[in-house]
Amino acid sequence: MPAIDVKQLSKSFKTQRKEAGLWGSVKGLIWRESFYKEAVKSVSFSLEEGELVGFLGPNGAGKTTLLKMLSGILYPTAGEVKVLGYTPWERNREYQRQFAIVMGQKNQLWWDLPPAESFLLNRDIYGVDPKAFERNIDEMVSLLDLKDLLDVPVRQLSLGQRMKCELVAALLHQPRVLFLDEPTIGLDVISQEKIRSFIQEYNRLKKTTVLLTSHYMQDVEQLCKRVLVINHGQIVYDGLLDDLSKRYVDHKVIKIRFVEAQSATPPPGLEGVVEWDAHHAVLKVKQKEVAATTHRLLGELPIEDLSVEKVEVEEVIRRIFEEKPGIEPG
Amino acid sequence: MQKYWTVFRVNWQNALQYRGPTFISILGNLLHISVLLYLWNAIYRSGQHLGSYSLSDLITYYILQLMINSMVLSYISWDIVDEIREGTFSNFLVKPLNYLYYWFTINLSGKLFEGLMVLIVGLVMSFILIAHVSLPSQGITLLRFALALVLGGLLAFEFDFAIGILAFWLVKVNSFKYMLQYGMFFLAGALLPLDLFPAQFQAVANALPFRFLVFFPIQIFLEKEPAPMAGFITAGLWVIVLYIILRFGLQRGIKRYEAAGH
Amino acid sequence: MKPPVTEAYATSLSGRWARYLRLYRSFLMHNLKNEMIYRANFAIAVGMDIVFMGVNVVFFAIVYGNVETIGGWTFHQTLILVGSVGVVRELAYLTFRQGFLQLGDYVRTGNFDVMLTAPMATFVHLAFRHVSLTESLGEGLMGLFLVGYGFAHLDAASWISVPLYLLMLFNSLVIYYAFSLTVNSMVFWLVKSQELNTVVYYFMNTARYPREIYHGLGKAFFTFIVPSSLIATTPASILAGRAEGNLVGLSIGVAVVLLCLGLSVWNWSLHYYSSASS
Repeated sequence: MPAIDVKQLSKSFKTQRKEAGLWGSVKGLIWRESFYKEAVKSVSFSLEEGELVGFLGPNGAGKTTLLKMLSGILYPTAGEVKVLGYTPWERNREYQRQFAIVMGQKNQLWWDLPPAESFLLNRDIYGVDPKAFERNIDEMVSLLDLKDLLDVPVRQLSLGQRMKCELVAALLHQPRVLFLDEPTIGLDVISQEKIRSFIQEYNRLKKTTVLLTSHYMQDVEQLCKRVLVINHGQIVYDGLLDDLSKRYVDHKVIKIRFVEAQSATPPPGLEGVVEWDAHHAVLKVKQKEVAATTHRLLGELPIEDLSVEKVEVEEVIRRIFEEKPGIEPG
Repeated sequence: MQKYWTVFRVNWQNALQYRGPTFISILGNLLHISVLLYLWNAIYRSGQHLGSYSLSDLITYYILQLMINSMVLSYISWDIVDEIREGTFSNFLVKPLNYLYYWFTINLSGKLFEGLMVLIVGLVMSFILIAHVSLPSQGITLLRFALALVLGGLLAFEFDFAIGILAFWLVKVNSFKYMLQYGMFFLAGALLPLDLFPAQFQAVANALPFRFLVFFPIQIFLEKEPAPMAGFITAGLWVIVLYIILRFGLQRGIKRYEAAGH
Repeated sequence: MKPPVTEAYATSLSGRWARYLRLYRSFLMHNLKNEMIYRANFAIAVGMDIVFMGVNVVFFAIVYGNVETIGGWTFHQTLILVGSVGVVRELAYLTFRQGFLQLGDYVRTGNFDVMLTAPMATFVHLAFRHVSLTESLGEGLMGLFLVGYGFAHLDAASWISVPLYLLMLFNSLVIYYAFSLTVNSMVFWLVKSQELNTVVYYFMNTARYPREIYHGLGKAFFTFIVPSSLIATTPASILAGRAEGNLVGLSIGVAVVLLCLGLSVWNWSLHYYSSASS
């Protein structure tokens, strides 16, 4: 049984339009035109227990809406979801004790009290056994380096420290499923790195199923083997991150540095030259011609250094999002 | 002038967005007024009475109170306190807007909007209770009433603004503010006509300017006010005096705010 | 699958009550710690409450300066009405009121999410999140004083009525809660709760007038739609020796029905929460 199973999930929001100007406002007094905006359109996917999967997509693509439906915060317009066998929006207590959601932009800690107090309250809410509670806290505090911060009022913590505490508060009950919505948003590079490695370590140790959204490509590149790419409310890619580049990008980049100055024009018949000067060259070569081209270059030229690089994932994603919705990429 | 006209229009638009909540708060006050009408009705039915008031006078008094509450009484101090406490007040320091005039404009547009809504409620209510409403006997009374409403609205705004900018000096002003407002409305005659108060108490309430908010306009409407002209002059003087105090107070408050370094 | 670390989950009714009692204690302690930080405010707040209650007493003192009785209630009996409202208000702050006052902010910022994901009933979580001992303490104390003062000045005061009085105070608290819950369910459409709570505020503000002033349609309205006529009158009648069995039965009935209604409306309206991302 998959840990998360989503079938044909859709969600539309009702919004209202208001005409500009004074007359529009007077009219709005009585009647406003409302229409539906589809945030999520018939999405299906599933996750096995213990998987760590990344959700990629631009702002407003529907990532957060999806996570909120999986958490039972929002009711769907149509479709079916089972997480650990439960339908989230029934908000079964047993389900709620087995998952957690952390949103980078929201705060559930008590603002004026030290984080330790919020942890205690969560212990009571989730009914965590006191011994297990102590053990969990110790473990996470050392993983996250929080020792000296537990008794400082939350309002005095930095954003990064606060986020770490949010994570601890959410993981106290050892959820089997964890949803992370932009956990590193607005954080400095060091805090981002710390939180990334914590998530990785936690997933490795506890086999917690993690579904993560992030603006930062690095988060996803470091943490997730598998990604779901969502755009305009639809999943446009579901598979390995590595395959994503293979599927969308059929070329690699060859960079070379010469031992000594060369003629500033490339040898005849060499294809895919992007840059070429006396000391450097950059070529963009089709996947299947990489071997042959490399061979030829090494044979013909005095090369000091040669590297074959794949196109950055960020670049790949950008390409996907530039495509129109609904068109099958390939 | 143009900029304040824009503020007026924008706030009107904003009020429109929240017309539901505004209507609900009018209904809340209507609830209170209805209960008071039942109270007076029960008293008069049992053969008792309050001072020189007939039941019709009392019913009219409270219908007018309902309208005055929406059209005259100001509640902007909540927002002013929030702005000063949360530091968003800083945005004003860099804008070419006078804070006093800015809020005056906001209040004016809000009161006009709410006034339009309450007018409908008040007319419906008067229609239902038509047999029990005391209407003025002369046309001039309505003119006087309108003037009294304008003066009351100006004073109500000035008092409320004063309560709001207390936040420059006091950290937690909300509960204090609540008491001031409640006391002020009581002394304005919002809960009970002032001439039902015991004599000494009445003398105090009459000396204070709060009566111009509610009691004075209603007395004019009921044609019970012995000296309307003197009232207008006194109220007008209060408006000017308070204006001078507020300008001065606002200046001092801003100095204090800047010194605190927000 | 690894064994859950959480304690065996109580499914029996008594177990669930015990769990919520523990949670209540936990939330109350946290809120007390929170209030300690702003303790300077505490004394002022108590003072304000007393002034506020004082104005209500002055109101009735002035009216009773002109009349003998209102709907058959003497001045001292009326003090029990005014006092009972104060006590119910303080009890409400001790159990749920502050949560509703914050609800608009929770919904507007999307922080309401937490209440939907934690393993607690959403309406209980909202209520417990801001329980406050001190917020309305002045009203509670002044209320107790007024009830005591009125009781001491009654011609026919009987101590036997006290337990039933307390029980009916609790019943009034249930009515107050159910009404708040029903009205506040609208927050998911309005996104502002300030005005909704103005209505609730007026509801309690009109509770201190004796029920006997109403007749006809008004009586039905203030009994079943906006049941403010039951809040103070039912318990106070018992203490004042004016009780009728009918009124007690009616109040309990209204409390039960309104609570069921409030809970269903609330649970239904949760569907319309749109969870803003701030």
